[in-house]
Amino acid sequence: MEKKRANDEFEPGPILPSQSVDRFEFIKQEQNSSEGLSTSRSANEHEREERRIRKWRKIIGVGGSDWKQYVRRKPHVVKKLIRKGIPDCLRGLVWQLISGSRDLLLMNPGVYEQLVIYETSASELDIIRDISRTFPSHVFFQQRHGPGQRSLYNVLKAYSVYDRDVGYVQGMGFLAGLLLLYMSEEDAFWLLVALLKGAVHAPMEGLYLAGLPLVQQYLFQFEQLVKEHSPKLGQHFSEEMINPSMYASQWFITLFSYSFPFPLALRIWDVFLFEGVKVVFKVGLALLKFCHDDLIKLPFEKLIHALRNFPEDAMNPDTLLPLAFSVKVSKRLEELQQEYEKRNGGTLPKAGSTNRLLQAIKHKELSIKPERSNCVQKDDPSPRILH
Amino acid sequence: MATSGNNIKSAKLVLLGDAGTGKSSLVLRFVKGQFVEFQESTIGAAFFSQTLAVNDQTVKFEIWDTAGQERYHSLAPMYYRGAAAAVIVYDITNWATFMRARKWVQELQAQGSPSTIMALAGNKADLLEARQVSAEEAQTYAQENGLFFMETSAKTASNVNDIFYQIAKRLLQSHPVQNPQGMILSDRPAQRVVSTTSCCS
Repeated sequence: MEKKRANDEFEPGPILPSQSVDRFEFIKQEQNSSEGLSTSRSANEHEREERRIRKWRKIIGVGGSDWKQYVRRKPHVVKKLIRKGIPDCLRGLVWQLISGSRDLLLMNPGVYEQLVIYETSASELDIIRDISRTFPSHVFFQQRHGPGQRSLYNVLKAYSVYDRDVGYVQGMGFLAGLLLLYMSEEDAFWLLVALLKGAVHAPMEGLYLAGLPLVQQYLFQFEQLVKEHSPKLGQHFSEEMINPSMYASQWFITLFSYSFPFPLALRIWDVFLFEGVKVVFKVGLALLKFCHDDLIKLPFEKLIHALRNFPEDAMNPDTLLPLAFSVKVSKRLEELQQEYEKRNGGTLPKAGSTNRLLQAIKHKELSIKPERSNCVQKDDPSPRILH
Repeated sequence: MATSGNNIKSAKLVLLGDAGTGKSSLVLRFVKGQFVEFQESTIGAAFFSQTLAVNDQTVKFEIWDTAGQERYHSLAPMYYRGAAAAVIVYDITNWATFMRARKWVQELQAQGSPSTIMALAGNKADLLEARQVSAEEAQTYAQENGLFFMETSAKTASNVNDIFYQIAKRLLQSHPVQNPQGMILSDRPAQRVVSTTSCCS
């Protein structure tokens, strides 16, 4: 298993000759593609960045030892810092701390290995089919059967065994792929668990369950929010028969890790892991607001195209994110969720599993156990947490 | 066929079929003339458009390329609803994808509009040595179900333009009427007929 420690400094992978890659090792499509973050920084900027990293290191402590206490004491400082972006060299570690995945990992030694090595998954062929179709333009994932593809396979397979109801769904690969660029396989797996099972925020496994119930709910909420935050645009969308499923389903299914510029995706993930899924709504609404005056003039076809190809300036994290943070959605999101549940019989997986997972973390007395073997007892509805 | 010169007919077309059968690759070959070996998986759905001249008329395809995995099934109806044409794609080297294609056909027959023109595409026809679905079998199935069938290869471009051309021809045949607004074969309101229709006659 490929170990790539999170708090290592940025270390370049095997770069194939004659391919030029950007700062994040994606193979450049065009000669003059701008990266949002310049590679040649002035000495001044460099110094500022060094200071920022030192500050972060101090807050985190050795291996994350001081982190929890600091967050408890100064949550607002942390929130503000994260919104400015986590330094790239600390990103992997901080993601594990804020998502709660580090705790899951520590509480479940050996579980990942068990899942990868000893269990078989019904999704293995599906996963293999998609492996070379996940971030095909990134050097880490490009090499056939190379370390990137192998880790991606292992993480996805492990998850498909860990939760056989979810199994493997297209889209998960982009989440796992993004994580693997910043942490080891095992760490990436537990972060996926933390997200989907809800270690800190509400569980998101509904994104991938049969019928995609959470995608449907998010799309409903998003459509209403568009109407409320940008009424003219909402009206224009209705007239042009555009609904959010046509452009935003991938935003939610992959949490912006698919077909968004990487520097922006990373900055969104920094905040998303700390503040929760409302950030995805905020960013989506901010994108529409930013391009409002253009979008409102476009007919159906051009509109669809524009909603898939936002202009470069909209993709600049330092422009888009402040706009996103100014959009207030928390209260309405809750109300709209209730409204959606009322309309649809309220069958969505609720925070139950969150609480249990949280308890598991707090009391350190429970351990997550994967479903064993293929003969799963289907009549046992409890999550895979043993008491 | 019918008269006038610059009628452009819009037609909504949807691609359905199992994951990894080459739906996106077929569209990209048709729309951009491109092919990449490792096409990124489609998440949700993607939209493309392409016009095609058939004799003196032009069909403008508005193409929805959908995600293939079974789990995404719940998102599909909004794309095939009101579609003038559907291309159901399977991979000739993978029997299971043919079975899945048949399920799509059944679903469209049950849920879709009866006027939707359905085409069955046996893709990856360049991989002959790995073939699992014979052309005869697919042809028989297609005939029995009123689809038209072609084996295609997005990689070599074989039959790709042809299958869309055949669809366009059939669309024009099944709706040969000329009306001054141009014919709307998609389910959205008028407006998108680009041509200068109102001036003629």
